[in-house]
Amino acid sequence: MAVQGIVVENVSRVFGGLKAVDGVSLTLARGETVAIVGPNGAGKSTLVQLISGVDRADSGSIHVDGVRTDRLSSDRIARLGVGRSFQTSRVFPALTVWDSVLVGVQPGLIERPSGRLIDPVTESLGALLGLGFWRRRVKAQEAAAEAALKLFGDRLWPRRDQPALSLSYANRRRLEIARLLAAEPRYLLLDEPSAGMNPTETEELTHLILDLRRTHPQTGILVIEHKLSMVRRIADRVVVLNQGRVLIEDKPDHALDHPEVVEAYLGKPRTGASFQDAHHG
Amino acid sequence: MELFLSQILNGLAIGQVYALIALGFSLVFGVANIINFAQGALFMLGAFIAYSAIAWFELPLVAAAAVSVVIVAILGLLLERIALRPLIGAPYIAPFLSTLAISTIIDQSAEIIWSPESQPFPAALSNTTFFIGNAYITLTDLVIFAFGAAATVALTLFISFTWTGRALRATAQDSAAAAQLGIRTEAMRQIAFGLAGALGALSGILVALYFQSVFPQMGIPFGLKGFAAALLGGLASIPGAVVGGLLLGIGETLASAYVGDSYRDAIAFTLLLLMLLVKPNGLLGSKRLDALGGAGAAAGAMPTTSLLASSSSQQTAIRAVYLPAWGFLVVGIAFATVPLVLTSTYVLQALIYGFIFALLAVSTSLVSGSVGILSIGHAAFFGVGAYAVGILARPYGLSADATLLVAIALTALVAVVAAIPLLRLTGHTAALGTLAIGQIGFLVFLNWVSVTRGPMGILNIPHPVLEILGGARFATTAQKYWLVLGFVVIGLVIAERYVSSPIGRVWRAIREDRLAAQASGLPVKRYILLAFAISGALAGLAGGLFAYVQQVVSPESFTVETSILVLTMAVLGGLGNFTGAAVSGFALAILPEFLRGFAEWRMIIYGLLLLAALRVRPQGLLGAR
Repeated sequence: MAVQGIVVENVSRVFGGLKAVDGVSLTLARGETVAIVGPNGAGKSTLVQLISGVDRADSGSIHVDGVRTDRLSSDRIARLGVGRSFQTSRVFPALTVWDSVLVGVQPGLIERPSGRLIDPVTESLGALLGLGFWRRRVKAQEAAAEAALKLFGDRLWPRRDQPALSLSYANRRRLEIARLLAAEPRYLLLDEPSAGMNPTETEELTHLILDLRRTHPQTGILVIEHKLSMVRRIADRVVVLNQGRVLIEDKPDHALDHPEVVEAYLGKPRTGASFQDAHHG
Repeated sequence: MELFLSQILNGLAIGQVYALIALGFSLVFGVANIINFAQGALFMLGAFIAYSAIAWFELPLVAAAAVSVVIVAILGLLLERIALRPLIGAPYIAPFLSTLAISTIIDQSAEIIWSPESQPFPAALSNTTFFIGNAYITLTDLVIFAFGAAATVALTLFISFTWTGRALRATAQDSAAAAQLGIRTEAMRQIAFGLAGALGALSGILVALYFQSVFPQMGIPFGLKGFAAALLGGLASIPGAVVGGLLLGIGETLASAYVGDSYRDAIAFTLLLLMLLVKPNGLLGSKRLDALGGAGAAAGAMPTTSLLASSSSQQTAIRAVYLPAWGFLVVGIAFATVPLVLTSTYVLQALIYGFIFALLAVSTSLVSGSVGILSIGHAAFFGVGAYAVGILARPYGLSADATLLVAIALTALVAVVAAIPLLRLTGHTAALGTLAIGQIGFLVFLNWVSVTRGPMGILNIPHPVLEILGGARFATTAQKYWLVLGFVVIGLVIAERYVSSPIGRVWRAIREDRLAAQASGLPVKRYILLAFAISGALAGLAGGLFAYVQQVVSPESFTVETSILVLTMAVLGGLGNFTGAAVSGFALAILPEFLRGFAEWRMIIYGLLLLAALRVRPQGLLGAR
């Protein structure tokens, strides 16, 4: 029986002389929410790049549900059920909101249950001739896309025929997350989902993640986040990174109030009060 | 061994010339982040102006060279002023297409002024030959090498040690920050273009001395080789450009000595493609290339790899107007009635070419617009289809069903293979890769005499017979009209079905943001190859039909001019908008039929149209999709 979850073991990534990620190990089980925090340059985003296959680790190993993924391409990893968002939302600007979400479900359309892809000829015939079996697949995927958009209430669904570039900053973030959710991933990697959001929008996002945890109890969520008040509310565990290394891994309140963590963020320990949002994005 | 050494010395001389052309690219790229496609045209003008100064005004070589360098430097400034400055803030692809249009206009004007023939360039130097051991080098080679090296050193000193040079480098590093510090970055851009013009002219004159002839079509191959040299060196580096130029010069001289002179250029372009395949950032490596064209916006507030995005991150939203697939069928049926009313062979013939180019423009729009890999090499695919029919039809007595099927399948295969080196590229570099593919195609048609019969071409292609219609023979113009119309409509309907299907949506997603598409789980390379296969199949069909209509296939139908023409059609119609591509392909193909007597002005008119469209409506007439 293969080990479930995302297992990162002793992973390093060097850029020139800089060890961006230096021997990091961590796990993400299905159903749990883990937050990665740390000062700028701690290697948080690089770690997400490595897990999602957008960048390659120099050493160490990464497994997703028992499948070794550190040498796989990012599309293969995504099809294993790992969805990721980007620090700056990437939403296919000229595509409509609706098309943008449908891109998210496309891999499910061309993937057989075995995990192999349908060959391009069959795909072409299905798409061109609108054959029955193909149309049923498309319908199912469209239903998933519609449900994902409607998760955001009237933020996205009424705007589905507008190009993504016309959306507000916060709505682009929502669209990106909707695209991920439409694919029904087993793991979600969110790279600073609240960056650029005002307090109200951050609150809304916090509720969305809490709702997700309730509606998708089997989804593992890894979230990079600077807004520690949000981290305290959503995360089961916190991993603090500093200079590419895991500084501490613990429950949110323990981890975030740990003197070494405070020092890593602020440079010197503060007595008494725990600190709140280190970074307002 | 002597031959080998002599070839190396010889290669160093011509390599020094490539280095100079490469420096022109590097300067402009460094300062303005633009690949100046017109560098080759400036190079050609440099050679021709010097030629005229010698042949018409009987100036001595040195004076003629000086005059030419000054004039072309001024033209370089004008180029920046007219074709590029108005496009600041325009879509990323606009400046590149603009220099492409200018280059077309200059090349064609040169053909009008100096005739398309090649002219002998006076040998100003004696044919003295020096021996180093048993290896030999001519005086001309030495002079070329010395001049090239001196110019390179002078440029390096200028860039490194003068205030202006420092300001140029600052602008190259960060134009906005340089402007904040009080550097007049616009003036720096102008200086870069002026210098590039001067370098272009100088290299043109040296090449004229080397080959002792000048011809108006010399701009594109030499420009492309200069670009290859610049790319070898990493594009934004002066030592890189020199190393790249020398390597290319030596490589190609050795190839022409040991493989055959007719393969000289083909080998240079193959090297370029290989380079793009293995080390797209150049030997000395430059991350700057990643910031080119499409990927330039990938770091912005709204990441995208789309060619139609601009530095302001906002794409002018023009709602695309296009027909559904059945719309093409309806229009096709309407056109089918024309021969019943009109019997003029002349008009029908013009319409046939209109249909063929409509299909070809759609094929180009598919990869250039939907997938976002700008193709300046579609003439090669068009040619493969045409040659397939030309070669198979008479000697093997095959029916049109069979020949067209082979044309379609073979071209699809060729397009897929050609796409492999392009897979990792976006923006301008991908466009130049397709240009190299187009050039290789043309050179193969021209030089693979045993198969293509070379410049002679294939004559007497029989009238098409369709077995599927019970051996129906299409001999009259009206019959061929229906045949072509039928196939073109089928092709257009399939293309439109594709682009409107989920597959088309994936293509557009890849264009908009390749990284995000892949991270969403899409096998990006597979979809790009599929796009090239479909595009190749359509171009092959267009080529096959073209062969049957012309009854002759020869290389001059498949030059880079044809590629630029079909790309212009695709851009004018709105990239990715097949209705737009079909309409503008049809219109631009029949236009010259009504402009008889202005035949030589045709490419100039297309160039001006493209320039105007980029200024006024970069999204195309019917809107990009």
